[in-house]
Order: sequence, then C-alpha cells, then structure tokens
Amino acid sequence: MIELRNVTKTYKVGDTCVAALNGLDLQIEEGEFVAIMGPSGSGKSTLLFTIGGLLAPTNGDVLIRGKSIYRLTRKERAEFIRTNIGFIFQTFELLPYLTALENVAVALYLSNVPVLKQYNMAKEALERVGLGGRISHKPTQLSGGELQRIAVARAIVKKPPLLLADEPTGNLDQKTGDEIIQLILELNRQEKLTTILVTHDPNKARLADRRLLMIDGMLKGGEKNDK
Amino acid sequence: MRTIDIVLKNFSRRKGRLVFSSSALIFAIALMISVFVISNSMQNKIGQEVEKYGANIVVTPSSKTLEVPYGTVLIGKTIIPEKYVEKIYEIKNRQNIRVVSPKLYGQIEYENNTILVAGILPENEKALKVWWSIDGSLPSEDANEILLGAEVELVLQKELGSTIEIKGTNLKVVGILEMVGSVDDYTLFMPLHIAQRLFEQPGAVSVIDVGALCGNCPVELISAQIEEAIPGVKARPVKQAVETRMIAVEQNANFSLVLASIILAVGCASIVNTMLSSVHERRREIGILMSLGADSSHVYRIFLLESMLLGLVGGAIGCALGLASALIVGSVIMNLVIDLATIPLLPIVLSYFASVGCCIASGLYPAMTASKVDPVQALRSI
Repeated sequence: MIELRNVTKTYKVGDTCVAALNGLDLQIEEGEFVAIMGPSGSGKSTLLFTIGGLLAPTNGDVLIRGKSIYRLTRKERAEFIRTNIGFIFQTFELLPYLTALENVAVALYLSNVPVLKQYNMAKEALERVGLGGRISHKPTQLSGGELQRIAVARAIVKKPPLLLADEPTGNLDQKTGDEIIQLILELNRQEKLTTILVTHDPNKARLADRRLLMIDGMLKGGEKNDK
Repeated sequence: MRTIDIVLKNFSRRKGRLVFSSSALIFAIALMISVFVISNSMQNKIGQEVEKYGANIVVTPSSKTLEVPYGTVLIGKTIIPEKYVEKIYEIKNRQNIRVVSPKLYGQIEYENNTILVAGILPENEKALKVWWSIDGSLPSEDANEILLGAEVELVLQKELGSTIEIKGTNLKVVGILEMVGSVDDYTLFMPLHIAQRLFEQPGAVSVIDVGALCGNCPVELISAQIEEAIPGVKARPVKQAVETRMIAVEQNANFSLVLASIILAVGCASIVNTMLSSVHERRREIGILMSLGADSSHVYRIFLLESMLLGLVGGAIGCALGLASALIVGSVIMNLVIDLATIPLLPIVLSYFASVGCCIASGLYPAMTASKVDPVQALRSI
C-alpha cells in the first residue's frame, strides 16, 4: 500500500541544513493500522505530510498503491489526494463559516460530485460518526469531540483507502480522545482503511497493529501489537 | 457545495471588511456615473437652448464681392433666388430643420441717415429670434408695415402708428424692438416682398437663416446638404458659442472622469490590498482545502470569484448611487432637469463592466498568490 524508499527531507535554517526525515524506509500494508510516536520535532508530522502528498521529499521516493506520488504533476497529485487520502488534524481544521454538513460536503465539492449527492453522502458520513443530529450546526456551536467527529466524517466521506491522523486527540480530553480513537479503530477494522496515527499517547498507540518510534527524523523499531 | 456557496458564506462573515474594500470602488463608479449623467444633461440643456435661440446655419451666396457686414456674416450684392428656400425643406436631414428665415438686405437714405433694411418673413423671423421683445406688433406679411430696431427708433424719433415714406411708399411703424444688443438694433424690418419691390429685386434674398434642432445633430452635415440642394450658396454652421460651452462642459466632465479613474485605481489598489491580506489570513483555510485535494485552480477560482462578485455588486451599488446622486445634485444644486429616459445607456453599462473588469484584474494577483500557498506551511502556521 505505502512504500517509502530512502526518503529525506531537509530544511535550510540559516546556513545549516536540518534533516526532518533522514533516509526513511517504510512499508505499510493495505488495511494496516500504524501508530507513529516520538518526541516533538522528531519529524512525525513531516512524515505524515510527505505520505499525504503535501510535502515533497528532498530525496527518495514515496509510493502509494504502486504510484510514485511526487512524480505526478501538482494537478495529478491533488487528484490523487482527493481520491485516496483522508486527513485528520489535531486542531480539527474545519471551515468556521460552514455548517457541519457543508464542511463534510466541501471534500466532495472538490471532486465535482453533484450538489445533491454531496449532501446525501455528507449526511451519511456524519451519521456514521454519530453526528446525524448536528448537521446544521456551525463549528462554534459544537464541542471539541464533535468537531473532531466532523473532521473524521470529512476524511472518510470520499471513502479513501488511506486515513492519516495527526495527533487527532491532542486537543481533546481523555474520554473524548478515547472515543475518537475508537472511531478511527472501528473505521480501520470495518472499512479496511489503511490508517497512520501520529500520537504522543502510548495507550492509544497500543491500539494500532504496529508502533513506530521516530527520533531525529529516523524510524526506530517497528513493534507489532498484540491484537 | 459550489464555489459560489463557499464565496458567499465567506463573505457573510466578513461584511465589514467587504464594505470597506468595496467602498472606494463604489465611490469611483458612483462619481463616474453621476458626472456622466450630469454632463449629459448639461449638454442636452445647452442643445435645447441652442435649438431655441437663433440660427445655427447661415446660407449666403458664394460670392467673392462681399460688402455689407451683418453680424458675423458679410452680405454681398449677389443674391439667392427665393424659390430655392423651399429646397431646404427637402434635404435628407429635413427633420432637423425648425425654421427657415430668408432675408433681403438693403440700405436706404432717410433724413440724412443711412439705414440698414431687412426684408423678412415676420413670423419666421420671430420664430427664429425667440428673444425678440416687441413694443407693438410684428408687421403683417401683406401690409405696408415696418418694425424698427431700438437704435433706428431713437435716431428717427418715430412712434408707433407713425409712417415713413421710402421710395414713394408709405410704411406704417407697427412695432419697435426692445434693445437686443445686436445688428437688429440698427435695422429696419419690413415684409420681404415689400423690400424686394423697393430694392427692385423681385424673388431675391440675400441670406437665409436656418434654425436647426441641433443639440447634438450633425450641423455640418445639414450645411453640406443645403449647399448640395441649392446651387451657388455657402451654408455656414454657426456654432462657436455652442462649441465653447460644450467644450467647457466636456472639459469639466473629462476632468471629473480622470478624477473618477484615479479613485477607481485607488479602489482597485484597495481591493488588491484587502484581498492580499485576506489571502494571508486565510492561508489556513487554503491549507485545509489543499489537504482535501484542492489544486491551484480550485483556490484560484474561489479568490477570483470573490473579486468578480465584489465588482458586480460594488459596480451595481455604485451605478445606483451615481444615478441617485446625479438626480439630487443635478436638480437641487445645478437646477438641471435630469430625464433618466434620455440618458444613453451604453456608457453606463460600459462603466459598470469596466468596474467589474478592474475588480477582476485586481483579484488576479491575490488569487495567484492564494493558489501558490504552501499547504504544509499554512497548516503549520496554526
């Protein structure tokens, strides 16, 4: 499903080059749930953005479903993201002027889905995450947990094969965070969504099929969890 | 969701900024429209005055031996056959002809005074010179009656009802002109056929004054048509005064339009500025859209549509405000009657689309900047 070959990402800070990703090799199977842990600044989010097609590596190759995504044109890559990748962020990243339903429908608008179908699919996705009754609420009227559920609904509404979650529980209390992780786990199990979860919380990482530890832009270990 | 939904919903949360960024544009368009409407109405008013007052074409024989000055026209001995007068009513632009007033000029000696005599068709001459104020009445066409210019009356000391004998014909003074400040004050007017008889020039006229309905009509063209219709004449458009006034109005209008264009440019700069700051503020939103798979064209479309809507709505408000202010300023301050039905629509429509065009052009750079936002940097700037 996902293959990273000697991926390096360096940033220039003043006169020095800082390596955020340092020659990474990684393979993730179809339907696998992988948790990436590591201290702040270790390169976890950079890795997620690189896998998600948003951040081109300095060197190396990123293949998703056999396609080298950074050899695609920008337009082709955007199209690839639309059909293959769903993102969930720590700070939800919803558009504040849209309702829950519209926030989810935006993902379909980009794929030129007809308006009526957009709303039907968005409603379905919101029901799937338990927010069927809140479709006309705006983000300011919803709790953190509800906002993250909308973000999950938006990520899965296109039914992508790959879900990338960047510390999705970082802004939530323990209980709500657990509920969101359970939801992501459920989607992984039921929809066979390949899932990569970046988290600081070892308890949540333990729910994944495999735990990876990232330190200084390099992956250490690859511990498999007992199911 | 459609692009327009995203744009409108985004507008709804930024109403204040929207009003601010479009105010300069609205003001510029309003100024443009009001200047255009007012100057157009002023030109119409001048045109109507021109139609009312005097001849705007003077037809004279094309002779090289000119002798007698008459206002700005020199009257020579050469004449125009009276039968050609009718031909003026047959030219192509005859609908523009308001009145035709033929005259025969001559001089007489009376009590040691040389007096300029004009044989006229009294009703036609009065229709041409609406400012004439007569003590008494106009001479009848078939009677031996005369009208004295104010200076002639002073020199001859003739009262209404008195008679003057010229070349053996007794002519009764039936009217005295009030001072008009032109050659008319020094002229003795009598019916045309009597003048033709006295000067032994039957069926002849020296000059034909033509009053054309010429607010904006092609007076040169009418003159050319008259010259073509009547052999051996010169038709001169009298338009200097009109042109001077028209030029003054046009210069004012042009200055105001330059001013409005500068304001429009400032308005565009304000839109560029507001949209660029909007792009900066909404980098996060752009990052979110890109993480959902938006490509540059999606982002570009959103921002360009915003500027287009600003232009469409701001332009419409500006047009409405411009028309309203023209009505108020024109009627209250400038004492103009502004008839919206007579205002040509095309320049207003063009101004409107020019404003929309300027707005779209102003949105191009911010839209391009938005489409080049790095999604990762945008999402990390949170």
